[in-house]
Amino acid sequence: MNCNRRDFLKLAGASAVCLTLGQLGFNLDEAFAYAGKLKIEGAKEFISICPFCAVCCQVIAYVKDGRLVSVEGDPDFPVNQGSLCAKGAGLMGMYTGKPRLMKPLYRAPYSDKWEEKDWDWTLDQIARRIKDDRDKNFVARNADGKTVNRLENIFMMGTSHASNEECALMHQALRSLGIVYMDHQART
Amino acid sequence: MSKAILIDTTRCTACRGCQVGCKQWHNLPANRTYQMGTHQNPPDLNPFNFKLVRFNEHEQKDGTVVWNFFPDQCRHCVTPICKDVADMAVPGAIIQQPETGIVLFTEKTALLSPEDVKAVTDACPYNIPRYNPQTRLLVKCDMCVDRVNAGLPPICVQTCPTGCMVFGNREEILDLARKRLDYARQRHPKAFLCDAEDVNVIFLLAEDKKYYYKYASFA
Amino acid sequence: MTNHWIDIKNADAVLIMGSNAAEHHPVCFKWVMKAKDNGACIMHVDPKFSRTSARCDFHVPLRSGTDIAFLGGMINYILNTGTWFADYVLNYTNASFIVGEGYSFDNGLFSGYDPARRAYDRKKWDFERGPDGEPLQDMSLRHERCVFNLLKKHYSRYTLDKVSAVTGVPPEMLLRVYKTFCATGKPDKAGTILYALGWTQHTVGAQNIRASAIIQLLLGNIGNAGGGINALRGEPNVQGSTDHALLYDNLPGYLPLPRADWQTLADFNSVNTPATALKKSINWSVNRPKYFTSLLKGWFGKEATPENEYCYSLLPKGDDGANYSYLEMMEKANNGEMKGGIIFGVNPMGSFPDVNKMRPALDKLDWLVCAELHHSETTDNWRRPGVDPKSVKTEVFLLPSAHRIEKAGSISNSGRWILWFDKAVEPEGEARNFADIFVPLLNRIRNMYKMDGGVFPDPLLKLNWTEKFDPEEWARRINGFFLKDTKVGDKKYRAGDLVPSFVNLKDDGTTSSLNWLYTGSYTQEDGNKAKRRNPEQTPMQAKIGLYPNWSWCWPVNRRILYNRASVNAEGQPYNPQKPVIEWDGSKWVGDVPDGPWPPMALDEGKLPFIMNSDGYGRLYGDILLDGPFPEHYEPVETPVSHHPFSDQLRSPVFRFFTSDMNKFAAAADERYPIVLTTYGMTEHWCGGGETRHVPDLLEAEPQLYIEMSHQLADEKGIKNGDGVLIESARGKVEAIAMVTVRLRPLKVMGKTIHLVGMPFAWGWTTPMCGDSTNRLTLTACDPNTSIPELKACCVNVSKCEKLTEIDRPKKDQK
Repeated sequence: MNCNRRDFLKLAGASAVCLTLGQLGFNLDEAFAYAGKLKIEGAKEFISICPFCAVCCQVIAYVKDGRLVSVEGDPDFPVNQGSLCAKGAGLMGMYTGKPRLMKPLYRAPYSDKWEEKDWDWTLDQIARRIKDDRDKNFVARNADGKTVNRLENIFMMGTSHASNEECALMHQALRSLGIVYMDHQART
Repeated sequence: MSKAILIDTTRCTACRGCQVGCKQWHNLPANRTYQMGTHQNPPDLNPFNFKLVRFNEHEQKDGTVVWNFFPDQCRHCVTPICKDVADMAVPGAIIQQPETGIVLFTEKTALLSPEDVKAVTDACPYNIPRYNPQTRLLVKCDMCVDRVNAGLPPICVQTCPTGCMVFGNREEILDLARKRLDYARQRHPKAFLCDAEDVNVIFLLAEDKKYYYKYASFA
Repeated sequence: MTNHWIDIKNADAVLIMGSNAAEHHPVCFKWVMKAKDNGACIMHVDPKFSRTSARCDFHVPLRSGTDIAFLGGMINYILNTGTWFADYVLNYTNASFIVGEGYSFDNGLFSGYDPARRAYDRKKWDFERGPDGEPLQDMSLRHERCVFNLLKKHYSRYTLDKVSAVTGVPPEMLLRVYKTFCATGKPDKAGTILYALGWTQHTVGAQNIRASAIIQLLLGNIGNAGGGINALRGEPNVQGSTDHALLYDNLPGYLPLPRADWQTLADFNSVNTPATALKKSINWSVNRPKYFTSLLKGWFGKEATPENEYCYSLLPKGDDGANYSYLEMMEKANNGEMKGGIIFGVNPMGSFPDVNKMRPALDKLDWLVCAELHHSETTDNWRRPGVDPKSVKTEVFLLPSAHRIEKAGSISNSGRWILWFDKAVEPEGEARNFADIFVPLLNRIRNMYKMDGGVFPDPLLKLNWTEKFDPEEWARRINGFFLKDTKVGDKKYRAGDLVPSFVNLKDDGTTSSLNWLYTGSYTQEDGNKAKRRNPEQTPMQAKIGLYPNWSWCWPVNRRILYNRASVNAEGQPYNPQKPVIEWDGSKWVGDVPDGPWPPMALDEGKLPFIMNSDGYGRLYGDILLDGPFPEHYEPVETPVSHHPFSDQLRSPVFRFFTSDMNKFAAAADERYPIVLTTYGMTEHWCGGGETRHVPDLLEAEPQLYIEMSHQLADEKGIKNGDGVLIESARGKVEAIAMVTVRLRPLKVMGKTIHLVGMPFAWGWTTPMCGDSTNRLTLTACDPNTSIPELKACCVNVSKCEKLTEIDRPKKDQK
């Protein structure tokens, strides 16, 4: 349908010498610096998918120097054909918006604050909690004496944000621990 | 050849992809807003919103509800009055790209006096220009001139899911606008095109402009 | 979805009910508008006039929680007016089956009801069967107990007057929908139904969908292009996460969780392998043992042997009938019986019902692990308003997680298309994807068991696991491998090669697959098909926009499910203009058919509904716990004290927690006379956990509001933009009034009923934007799905002079 779109862009980009004042805004210097340049020109393109509703609109993520510079609908994808709603159109804001969680955080019992921790410490601690609970509370047999091999006092909630591969992997891990209380947004 | 956009409001679902897409493409910061009893937010165009979906609802005599959406933006007039006014004070503050007909506010708008700014703003029949006191610039939609010059549609058009917005050469868009009008009139006998001869961003409304926005159409 | 997004354009009528498609699946409206352009009539039946209604041909407001009455009226209309598709109903549905004498229905209750257990004995609803167990049929449809006549009898009670009285929809509006939609009961017409959480989030949620299935089967709208029952589905990969079953009651591929009563693999297989005595029925689920054994081989690798029943004994087993859904887990936490919780990528302290119950319940955990992009009402529950952190014991580990653009893998859209996404950038900071959290975590636990021993280490130590996560490798594991050299036709596969299709999976331990439905998605021949970006179609496929070469969809790249029902017994399309499949005399062309067998009329021909053991579409069925036919019951909280269909006010089998019972308002409780329905919105994602952090989205929708009619606002002295206090039997919420013509009072059994609507996208961690609407909602849920009744509860509203949760612009502050 639009297989030539990006080839066309490359050609057009090369000849895009114009009096563009596309970034007109607040800072004069910035406006001059951008003049004549398309911000996605020369960016690497990656196919991704909007992380919100189940229409799963495909998007193109434009990346320069390892940083996202723009996200647009993928015109080639037959379902959304380049379009997006407000949430999809706002994907860049997931980057430029308020600060993300950057490091593992720990909140001790009865504490009133978060503390930054490293991944190793954090995963060690979680693994220890899970194993201790499992060893202590594993239910090998139910009230009728039938073998059930389950872990009833740890639960997992989530998540439809996971990829298929992550879901498959998490499911396998959770059942190997014996977890039965597992659920996610599909039930809400 | 002039570029033009058709905005067929009979197809708009007010998903606001255009409003948000515009902000993201232009790196415009968000305003602090409040819920004031309407979905329309920010309440009006402002230095950081060049595109805004306006919401307007009413109940008809037969009890049916009508909810109109109006994705407001600069009309890129064929003969821009704002430019004529600005030219008298600061030539080059407002320019029209000859190849595309796109009307651009340049950094020279900062040289306009407060009176000139008021004159330009008052001259616009669509109440579009907005003044940024921090930068002293007048700003508005630039029809994504950077994208257009690179052969891409403006981001609002690219983002629109329902075909409400279509971008192309003026003649093609006028042609399409007339076809869409004929089609729209089957359901909405009072449908009309807003100032099609005079603007390059042509709105198709289903009924009187008072049910959309007072500056929706000049005529 | 039985069909897929693009296919909506093929419809001649689109009924959007239980969904606000334009707001919650905005881009799908591209295809709804295409249908409209092609001449389809678009109808929206919903309590609120929304952005969806604005683009429909017409909108019909109905009282929340009365969908079955509305749909029951449509079934009655179809049967009275003869608009049903006779050939289809007779040949492809169980209309002709004779129901046994055990079935009866009296005053709102089906036979087999045990009030002590609040449950039915579903055996009472079985068919009359012949010597081999085959259901008896009367193709003349004269037998008084054949399904068709029981259906007629049941829904003859759903007269226009009664339906109108209950739903608040005037009879002429009912007829307008019924006439328009039922016009698709012709062979060459198609009507689609688009639904979402507006149907599922009720105590009768599953029966809402059953009712729509009955309608679509009567009209012959399943299997064809532009037809189907299309669950738009809520979340970004909720199709995939359901397929891979992050759900207590399933294993991947819709296999059930083993139960205590099924101690051996043989037990599991004997219970879960349905049989049929009907020769024309494929009864596809007969293959389950192959899929289950292949799953066990995938999970436990070489450790899984025939001798140890492929490690079946290592799986956890649920107690018979036990429910481990999230409402149960929170009840258990509230009782202090949960020690630890893991919550990834979801914000339950904003989006669960009755969060005033849930938030303190979470405090009772010893430890909690969260993986998120941002702080949320869940991660920071310990410091929520009104709570002294020094009183909360829970240790919290908060892990920074990566989002979509920062990772690679596949997701499945509602049309079951499996789509691959690239990793575009590295995760911010030290954020990780979920798998890169789970893999090292499980390896740590495995190492501890290896080094220190512990209780029942086998399932962990025998696991076919990994040291490092590679999404491509897991995509291959999901597809599955041959574990020994195998010949398929003329083609030789070596051990370790990818299995080309689920028909090649075996129950003898020679194949593996982590999800049989996905087998065929990643093959030796074509590689990772989720990456396919080929728009080519045959002219026949292009007519209906099938795109068979773009990505891949389960099962076996079949784009429209039950497509054998789109053709007559000779294999010719009922609608030659929009054929899905067609028998060309020797083979099927078009879509991938539901099996290669020839058309029904030929000896080898098979019935179309291959996932039903009998092969027929079920107008009547004993699968659901709350009855073989959908029946109207009021929501648990209802503004009325009776309804005209029976004396059974509420569902006799809805689920609830005894501890929450005192938090339900009585029927027609004068303290809470207004119906509240809750919903998401375009600009925020569900509870808003992510989107409140996107400044442009927060700019567009900054604060919690309540939509109400002018009439209600006048009654309560509330003006547009005023602060409002909303109260239910469970909590209070502040919101800003959005007074609108889009909601209107309804006349329900002579009484004026007001309805208000509120989104739930805000929470206290975003300052002064309002806190969770779910402080109002309740925990009663559907007995089949355990989905709570978030779409209907009862409240009261009053003007709130002094807001504490929502700020106002400075000049407005009083």
